[in-house]
Amino acid sequence: MTAAFAVTGLTKRYENFALQDISLSMPEGQVMGLVGVNGAGKTTLLRLLSGLSRADAGTIEVLGHAMPAQQVAVKQELGFASEDMRLYKTQTLRWHMDFIRSIYPGWDEAYAAELLRRFDLCAEQALAGFSHGQRVKALLLLNFARRPRLLLLDEPTTGLDPVARDEVLQALADILRDDARSVLFSSHNTQDIEQLADTISFVHGGRLLESRDKESFLDDWRRVVCQGSWPANESRWPEIAATRQNGSLLELKVRRFSDALLSRLKGQGLEIRSTEAMSLEDIFVTTVRAGGAA
Amino acid sequence: MNVPGLNLPVIKLLIAKDWLLFQKQLAAYVTAGIFALCLLGMAKPWSFYLGSLMLIVVLVAAACFSISTSLLAERKEHTLAFVMSLPVTPLDFYLAKLLGNLVTFLVPFLVMLGGTIAVIAFTPLPNGLIVFATLVFGYVLLAYAVSLSVAMAVESEGWNTFAMIGSMVLINPFIMLLGQIHAISGYTNTEHVVWSAPAVSILLAQVVLSVAVLVATGWAHCRKPAFY
Repeated sequence: MTAAFAVTGLTKRYENFALQDISLSMPEGQVMGLVGVNGAGKTTLLRLLSGLSRADAGTIEVLGHAMPAQQVAVKQELGFASEDMRLYKTQTLRWHMDFIRSIYPGWDEAYAAELLRRFDLCAEQALAGFSHGQRVKALLLLNFARRPRLLLLDEPTTGLDPVARDEVLQALADILRDDARSVLFSSHNTQDIEQLADTISFVHGGRLLESRDKESFLDDWRRVVCQGSWPANESRWPEIAATRQNGSLLELKVRRFSDALLSRLKGQGLEIRSTEAMSLEDIFVTTVRAGGAA
Repeated sequence: MNVPGLNLPVIKLLIAKDWLLFQKQLAAYVTAGIFALCLLGMAKPWSFYLGSLMLIVVLVAAACFSISTSLLAERKEHTLAFVMSLPVTPLDFYLAKLLGNLVTFLVPFLVMLGGTIAVIAFTPLPNGLIVFATLVFGYVLLAYAVSLSVAMAVESEGWNTFAMIGSMVLINPFIMLLGQIHAISGYTNTEHVVWSAPAVSILLAQVVLSVAVLVATGWAHCRKPAFY
């Protein structure tokens, strides 16, 4: 199977930040969510994949083509929308749609019309009169309707009201019904990623902390509440990412949960009160605070 | 025509896009230029000075407008990332911007250059002015090429403003310099169009330097690390 993208040893240095030695790939037909705090390197990674930026080191392959050498072939089948990307404010959305249609042979006019209705956008209105949410939806419409094989979305739902966010997520879910299409999207909102992604990648401080399929991610992590005191030497408990003592209760955040771990905890004199699944947000925050090992 | 490595259909679309975005404003510049030429054509001392001043102002304004709207504004308003996400290479983008800018600037420029020569040739103004006027237009072309190159190579708005204003303001010393060269200024009040060696050398230098600056910028642009 062709990889939607594959990067090896990818490095990009700026004055105060460096994306360092990223190796990551995604098979076609998958959805990968990039999770990271502001300045983690998500946007840098997406810009490198889209050809907007050049790497200092490493290799990039997108849809089977080397980047940036074959960027025209890649960009023919790529959609890219980022939070800071703007359209021509003096022109109407219809003008933009005609402009994009003239470039991309795969432009789907019927789908564009459906998205116009769904996003409640007026094609004849100049972009200057659009709200932030409308601008984001217009940019997504221009990307979705060209039917790209790979969509790169940088914070697609940031700044949207709940209704607009739901519309965008629904449109994304529709796109993902087609198994041949792949999406890599970044978001602060881990709920969006938890809802849509097959694979989750954590980026922090310019490094890739972890990249795994969502189910195994969520299955492995647990919040365990015990009665008793944390006994000892943390180095003997690599499965445990964080501990918090609250009176007689001990909360453990476990990165590799197993029945054997529960038995070991009981063997330390702890009484297990509850074992709960963790949200992606909680897993991410715990991973970052634990210093990166997920 | 298919040129290997270039996405010509998209380059053409980008040029057409820039033309469409700026055509109304450029029409206004051409109109103002024609008005200035009418003043020149009246061949009265006051109208000549007013017309030539207005012509230079319109030329400089057209040059600055073309650069600031198609390049600086694109960067400032974050539409550059949108354009660069289309199926183009940095070289395609550079060529589209270069040709788009040349079209949007050269159309009013050539209209005004042709108009100026016609006005001088077909009114009582001395024909010897044609060489002088052509060299002034040549200077504006060079200043435009320098400003365009700085705009493509340097992201700082301050440097771009400095390059545009600086290069255009230097037109005054340049006109004074032409006035000091007898082989050029000596014929401005005569009916003879004399392309003396200094005049031809200056014109050649203007054209060669303009092209060299733009080629060097293209080379540098294709090696830029980021396009957003």
